Amino acid sequence: MAEVVLSGLSKRFGMTTAVDDVSMTIPDGAFVVLLGPTGAGKTTTLRLIAGLERPDAGSVSIGKNDVGEYSPAQRNVAMVFQQYSLYPHMTVRENLAFPLKSPLINAPEDEIERRVSEVSSALQIAHKLDNKATALSGGEMQRVSIGRALVRRPDIFLMDEPLSSLDAKLRADLRLELKRIQADLGATLLYVTHDQIEAMTMATHIGVLEEGRLVQFGSPREIYENPSSIYVATRLGQPRINTLPAALFGGAPAGAELIGLRPEHIRQGEGRDAKVVRVEHLGDQTRLHLSLEGHALITLTDPHTPLASGDTIAIRPDNPLYFAADGARILQGA
Amino acid sequence: MTDETTSRSPAVAPAGFARKYRGLSDRAVAWLFIGPSIFLLLAINIFPLIWTIRLSLTNYRANRTNADVDWVGLRNYERILTDPDIWNSMQATAHFLIWTLVLQVLIGFGLAYLINKKFKGNDLWTTIIVLPMMLSPAVVGNFWTFLYQPQIGLFNYVVAFLSGVDPSSFSMIGDVNLAPWAIVIVDTWMWTPFVMLICLAGLRSIPDSIYEAAECDRASRWRQFWTITVPMTLPFLMLAVLFRGIENFKMFDLVVQLTGGGPGSITELTSINLKREAFEKWRTGYASAYAVILFVTVFGLASIYVKALNKVKER
Repeated sequence: MAEVVLSGLSKRFGMTTAVDDVSMTIPDGAFVVLLGPTGAGKTTTLRLIAGLERPDAGSVSIGKNDVGEYSPAQRNVAMVFQQYSLYPHMTVRENLAFPLKSPLINAPEDEIERRVSEVSSALQIAHKLDNKATALSGGEMQRVSIGRALVRRPDIFLMDEPLSSLDAKLRADLRLELKRIQADLGATLLYVTHDQIEAMTMATHIGVLEEGRLVQFGSPREIYENPSSIYVATRLGQPRINTLPAALFGGAPAGAELIGLRPEHIRQGEGRDAKVVRVEHLGDQTRLHLSLEGHALITLTDPHTPLASGDTIAIRPDNPLYFAADGARILQGA
Repeated sequence: MTDETTSRSPAVAPAGFARKYRGLSDRAVAWLFIGPSIFLLLAINIFPLIWTIRLSLTNYRANRTNADVDWVGLRNYERILTDPDIWNSMQATAHFLIWTLVLQVLIGFGLAYLINKKFKGNDLWTTIIVLPMMLSPAVVGNFWTFLYQPQIGLFNYVVAFLSGVDPSSFSMIGDVNLAPWAIVIVDTWMWTPFVMLICLAGLRSIPDSIYEAAECDRASRWRQFWTITVPMTLPFLMLAVLFRGIENFKMFDLVVQLTGGGPGSITELTSINLKREAFEKWRTGYASAYAVILFVTVFGLASIYVKALNKVKER
């Protein structure tokens, strides 16, 4: 395992800049999650670290070595591809054993067998070991793809939405399993996801990408509680943060155009009157859709709330976030 | 309901026609469509086959239709299988078949592998390489007899240039030892592009992401070639071998034009030999038995082969 440092990394494809001057240090043993919508440059960042793409500018170093001239095979990185990329003519067992049979690793037979059986039982695919890779469901293929990385002990694991095809229960199981394996091995891991729960529960650090640029890097708490812009603030939180004109409520700092309200920033029962549009019972949470002077906002409420659509409820911001017109965060009292 | 439709749209189909065909079941319609082709198949494939088997048991001669035809049982088969000329022919065919397949697979796959690399103008190169296969075999046979000319032939000149031997000291077509190779070379020249095209289709069917995964799994180029490229192209390669094998088993035109089966009968492949028996010696019954033996051989080989092919595809 090793520390991975990206400095000034850029990659263009034709006219589009996929990764734009990204600098980031992934500490040894860290679990770093990259967040961002489609096209933000998450996958390209992984591919640059793996060596599958050459950067136009900047450098990647793994464990203090500049790996710019190294091929993917020389880099000792393990990658889980979003499209699985299993070897279709091999069985699951052969797929899992494939990386260990590299002359660069040259693991003995009994070691290969031990690791394959370990990983396949952790990923709940032990009963499929002798199946052809093409005779699996999407979720099973994805687990084989994760397994093919986990049998190795690389400097860094790169995972591109590895749990996206799994059903909710399996996803929850594997989230714990991955976190456990990462902690046991002390592995360094860079992980791309859209899933907020994965990001919040697994990550030691989160990096938020916007159009190829790394706009914020920090602990999950920091990213959630102290976002640097509206863009970052909307990456995390269910329901999403509400953004309204700052003038709706008093007390905005100078330059603040917008106020950002997460459910915990909204105190109910005092302040301005808002109309209840709809009450959504989601089971684990109950969402209140409100309308305040024509502005829609969503917050949470008690599961046994007596409120129904058409009612009115008073709300007041409580320690909210303020943003300038361009979306940049404005710190209160600053 | 039916009456309503006909009365409302009499222009779509004449009432008589509609009434006549509306009652057809799906099954009947299906038979209507495949009937003509089944009839054709029976008439031009199955019937002649059965007729040939019948003739092979007689001493019938097609040039003496008035002569008595005797039932001779399996005597024709017995004579063929003990005829040394026919065994020579079989050997010539085996030599031709095996070497053309080996060379075309190796060179065809090699060319496909090279042309599959991304470089400028590879489409143009593909077109150029594919040209020989678009020519008529008769034309190819004819102009290769010129290339093989000891005095003026380009082939002899090139060999002489590369090896230093006198160009007029050897004749590819005239020499008993060289003629079997002369036909292998021409067929390889003409049909390697076909094998290349099929291999190219196989190579292009392997997504880049598989190689990327292998690259991340620290597999060398050599290992990627043997564990990914070869096994994933193998079904295509086997298909090419099947096509070429069947084609070359019945090879006739190119070799007749090139060597006419000579010198002596050293390049007399079974199809040439068979044609001689049937239409020069007019031993129709005997030739029919010969044809049946060849048919059974090629059918048997092809069925075993297709089974193997399916097994590879399942893997």
